[in-house]
Amino acid sequence: MNTYICRYCRQPSDPNAPTCPLCGAPVDIKSSVSDSGWVEQPAIKDMARLQFGQSHLQIAGTTVPVAEFNLASNDWIYFSHHVLLWTEPQTRLTNMPMRGAWNRKMAGMPLVMVEGRGPGHLALSDNHAGEVVALPMQHGQQIWVREHRFLTATGSIKYDWYPSDIWYETGQDSDDREIHYPMGQFGDVFGAHEGPGLLLLHAPGNVFIRDLQPGQTLLIQPSALLYRDVSVRMALHLEYPRNMGFAFWHNRWSYRSIWVRLFGPGRVAVQSVYQPPEDTEVIVNHSYATTHHW
Amino acid sequence: MSKVRSCYLPSVEMIQCKWCHAQNQPGTTSCQMCGAPLDERDKVSDSGWRQAPRLRDMVEFQFSGSTCQVEGELVPVAEISLHPRDGVYFEHHVLLWKDESVPLSSLNTGGGMKRTIGGMPHIVTVANGPGRIAFSRDAPGELVVLPLHPGMELDVREHAFLVASHSVQYSFIRIKGLVNLLHGGSGMYMDRFITAGAPGMLLLHGNGNVLERTLQPNEKILVEPGGFLYKDSSVQMQAAQMPLKTGLMRHGMYLAEMTGPGRVGIQSMYVHHHAD
Repeated sequence: MNTYICRYCRQPSDPNAPTCPLCGAPVDIKSSVSDSGWVEQPAIKDMARLQFGQSHLQIAGTTVPVAEFNLASNDWIYFSHHVLLWTEPQTRLTNMPMRGAWNRKMAGMPLVMVEGRGPGHLALSDNHAGEVVALPMQHGQQIWVREHRFLTATGSIKYDWYPSDIWYETGQDSDDREIHYPMGQFGDVFGAHEGPGLLLLHAPGNVFIRDLQPGQTLLIQPSALLYRDVSVRMALHLEYPRNMGFAFWHNRWSYRSIWVRLFGPGRVAVQSVYQPPEDTEVIVNHSYATTHHW
Repeated sequence: MSKVRSCYLPSVEMIQCKWCHAQNQPGTTSCQMCGAPLDERDKVSDSGWRQAPRLRDMVEFQFSGSTCQVEGELVPVAEISLHPRDGVYFEHHVLLWKDESVPLSSLNTGGGMKRTIGGMPHIVTVANGPGRIAFSRDAPGELVVLPLHPGMELDVREHAFLVASHSVQYSFIRIKGLVNLLHGGSGMYMDRFITAGAPGMLLLHGNGNVLERTLQPNEKILVEPGGFLYKDSSVQMQAAQMPLKTGLMRHGMYLAEMTGPGRVGIQSMYVHHHAD
């Protein structure tokens, strides 16, 4: 009986394989854990193979890895057309209908998903130096993913998207009011409602994961959040430093920190490349937030 | 690692480079012609894409009488020590540094205003030895070293060319057909590098990782046009419309259909030409 559980994807795995056949994480390495408890997600080894259904995929490259799929005749995946790198002529590509086209357009999200059906090969890649993260999902499992980080998912995984509810508004009068969404206007939610499946993300930089205990909280840069269990809640947190010398007249916004506070329990993952929120104007309104003045 | 027996030195087993097929002396760990590691397994995916060799930091290789050393692995630098009778040419904005004594001159590519409209330089810069000169582009990626044998023709996407030795003839071809121009995603021109009677050296910079596949006669592969990096001139490239609609206006999606025979090189990081 197999009792080996991959420490990264948390699924029963093969301890004798060089890499986990479900998520591609190396089996034969020592876990790299920081003093504060962040576990570094090891990069999937070059040319590692992952199995799903009757199909498999292979990861090629380490700077901007390519996910190359060998799809069996009954298997299919879906993805944004932006990430298609190459395909064989016999692989069937069709449009996947999406709801809320206008809202997605306004939020800068891809309007169209493409279904790729076997038999045949195709390959996907994103356009940032970073890592491909493979998340095998058990039946019934749900994962929240920050927008634009989705690479592809198998057909058994349902895709939906919801407002992130993390926002703040700047501008003194109605003409220059602007709403900011520091982690995107929407978040993607993937659910394995019809059976187990595989979800692939692309993260710029390196990836670190951590398990939050019930009630445990953590402050992170909003755009650094890669994915979280749906049991992890989040809210805006605004932090202002103490007045320092001549900066007193504008420190309420110039030196403020805009965080997302995560509430456990559950697993969270962050990427090391992120874009800090703009800090040019005072916040006049915001979503539910906690505030701290030093 | 495969070893082949040289017909010139029957008692010595030479090592053949799997990337450029040059013969190397026993005991060498990197190819003297292209810098590819000789003591690593060839990385070929199940569908036949071969990874361009990841050049080790500080590896050296030779062309003509000159030496090229590759420095760094994230955004590699090609540092060339030019022999007095050698020269190289390049687009001027890839020049990272040079010895003061290395003379520079310009070479007109022809094409004039049409090249300007196409966003391509209409001169390339020439540097002659002796002296040292170094080149890099501005994105994480790989140096692709392509030693060219006499009689080869290679087409390269615009702005991917880093530097070439002076024995390689530089030309360009205009991408023909309105569909190819509007939907091909490869710009108006492709650089064409030709070797006539003498061998030469061509260095490209590929964004992200670089993969190469050799197509058989009439074999086809569909490639995202932004991912196309280079091809043998024998490979035909056409814009092919997919049965897909994209964007709010439901416009069509096009890929580059490559038809063999010949090599096709792609890069894994690119700006999608259909970005909404």
